[in-house]
Amino acid sequence: MKKFLSVLLTVVLLASFAAVAGAEEKTTITVWCWDPAFNIYAMNEAAKVYAQINPDVEIEVIEVASNDCETRQTAAFISGQMDDLPDIVLMQDNSGQKFLSTYPGMYYDLTDKIDYSNFADFKVNYFVSEGRNYAVPFDNGCAAMFIRTDILEEAGYTLADVTDITWSRFIEIGKDVKEKTGVPILTCEMGLADFLMMIPQSAGTWYFDEEGNPNIAGNEVLKATLETIKQMADAGIVYEAVDWAEYISTLNTGKAASTIQGCWILGSVVLAEDQAGKWGVTNIPRLDNIEGATNYSNQGGSSWLVLANSENAEIAADFLNQTFAGSTEFYQTILKSSGAIATYLPAAEGEAYAAPHEFFGGQAVFADIMEFSAQIPKVELRLYNYEARDALRDALQAYRDGGDLDSLMQEAQDTVEFLMME
Amino acid sequence: MTTTQPKPLRKSKGLMHHINRVGWLFILPAVALILVLCFYPMIEAFILSLQKGKGNNLSWNGLNNYTRLFKDKVYLQAVQNTFFYLIIQVPIMLGIALLLASMLNDKTLRFKGIFRTLIFLPCATSLVSCSIIFKQLFSPSGLVNTLLLTWGWISEPYPFLTEATSARIIIIVTMLWRWTGYNMIFYLAGLQNIDYQVYEAARIDGASAVQQFTKITVPLLKPIILMTTVLSTNGTLQLFDEVRNMTNGGPNNATTTISTYIYKLSFEQVPQFGYASALAYTIFIMVAILALIQMKVGDKQ
Repeated sequence: MKKFLSVLLTVVLLASFAAVAGAEEKTTITVWCWDPAFNIYAMNEAAKVYAQINPDVEIEVIEVASNDCETRQTAAFISGQMDDLPDIVLMQDNSGQKFLSTYPGMYYDLTDKIDYSNFADFKVNYFVSEGRNYAVPFDNGCAAMFIRTDILEEAGYTLADVTDITWSRFIEIGKDVKEKTGVPILTCEMGLADFLMMIPQSAGTWYFDEEGNPNIAGNEVLKATLETIKQMADAGIVYEAVDWAEYISTLNTGKAASTIQGCWILGSVVLAEDQAGKWGVTNIPRLDNIEGATNYSNQGGSSWLVLANSENAEIAADFLNQTFAGSTEFYQTILKSSGAIATYLPAAEGEAYAAPHEFFGGQAVFADIMEFSAQIPKVELRLYNYEARDALRDALQAYRDGGDLDSLMQEAQDTVEFLMME
Repeated sequence: MTTTQPKPLRKSKGLMHHINRVGWLFILPAVALILVLCFYPMIEAFILSLQKGKGNNLSWNGLNNYTRLFKDKVYLQAVQNTFFYLIIQVPIMLGIALLLASMLNDKTLRFKGIFRTLIFLPCATSLVSCSIIFKQLFSPSGLVNTLLLTWGWISEPYPFLTEATSARIIIIVTMLWRWTGYNMIFYLAGLQNIDYQVYEAARIDGASAVQQFTKITVPLLKPIILMTTVLSTNGTLQLFDEVRNMTNGGPNNATTTISTYIYKLSFEQVPQFGYASALAYTIFIMVAILALIQMKVGDKQ
């Protein structure tokens, strides 16, 4: 029996070796990205497109949460153990400068592989380091308000009533909606940190000045941002979800009437098929009494990078070039179901962008979002974007607990300065 | 060692020598592994702690990382939090564990096996899943809030994990749930070594249950109490999983521990591995000092 087993094992082992040897012909490109309704879907569609161009290449998409993507890259880069890394990785635009400058040489130079004139400038810039390009831009992070028109109607409002408004008007309407329907008008992740990025950018302000030094203490726009967020939270019109999963479920189950988020959230909104026709999209509220305040901003957005260490870096670059940077048709396909609104300019001319969207009651949401997107004030992202946001998030929390705003903002400024010091 | 052997044993020196050599041979693999897996990283980490820079761009920095510590508000807050957990959680946990152990050691108690298993069972759960379960329980729409709301004790969900004090308390509760059974097993094992006749004699002498506990159980378990204290102190100073998964240090760093701050510095923020290593070394120093104090206080020999 024992002998039989060992023979069997040997055979199995040999067979698996043979299988590996046989499969070697096919090159596998592994990809890390995180959202099944959105970028994973888009990547799988891209794989289908590329399968017709180069059938010898297989694309394997692995779901890795955005934070984990970064952590695992950091761990691999510092330890030098890069076998576990994929060939292509998706990265938040906010993290671009951080990774490119702290780990020089770890990403594959795409400057000569991709035609960057086809992409929006501001987006390309996120991943330029020392004059070289390291990423293929993917989704647009244009912020928009996704709102339940049926709940608005119940409270006596229309989509037009929440378009081009200020935050104080939004809070007013929110209170009214809460009173009449019992539903909080807004849902977001606990701590409302997303607004700390969205609102300042809507007024053309960022956490850093032109030299890259923290510009937090005494910054009027940031002060107004924190005040607005506190007013909103105090008014009891916000549902703060403990985590991402709960946030998505509040959207899909009608626990809140709207979300103000990057347009990539569309892929998750349309998942609730029973709510078809009950949603509308409009621009976001603007700050009161601030010069240069607009109803447009950006939240998130990401780009594809190829790792320099990858054995198939060249194939990976070609794959990206032929799909995400070269196929209008591909963007038309992914647009409809995932709302992956591209920063690939030629794609905007496709008819899918102008088509009415049934889920949004026939509204041509993509055309609308493209229009918002053109009006987003530009800000320059830096190395310490998230650190500054976290410092402000802590300030916001303390402010909501009754702290003094001016001294809290000074504290946030000190925190960021301390982090930037060596 | 052999050189100190007295002269008459000279003949057996060769044998002793041989035995010693064989002994060394046996522990050699373990020693080699400890050297490579434990001491080598420690030395590397110390070298790293003398460097500065972001990510892979490192350069020498002398002891500046260590002086920087004292100006770092988040670090000081983290140290304070860590000691808060330590001072509150460890005594409560060890106290409960000791009580449970002596209760379950009672020979007349029925279904002992079931009780022991039930109390030990939390240790079988992974730290991450246990933290996630507690996070769910105490979330605004979680079980605890739902119950309190239906009983009418509160009118609005209480933000357990986003309010500083309650977040700390819930982290302590989670640790108690997870680790009490673990320590209880040590005490139970220790109690097996105390002859039951000692208790019988005490009872005949008229000692109450409390007296038996304080006069017999505790003194005789002293070495084990000392060991669990050192282990728990060590574990709490390195507290990471619970905080990371339940609050991620929030709100406003109120629950941050030194370990979660180290993680943040290395993997979440623009990486500063040198500074993070310096922080890690402070934990090492604290553990060493506390263990030394506990040994001195706890063990007179």
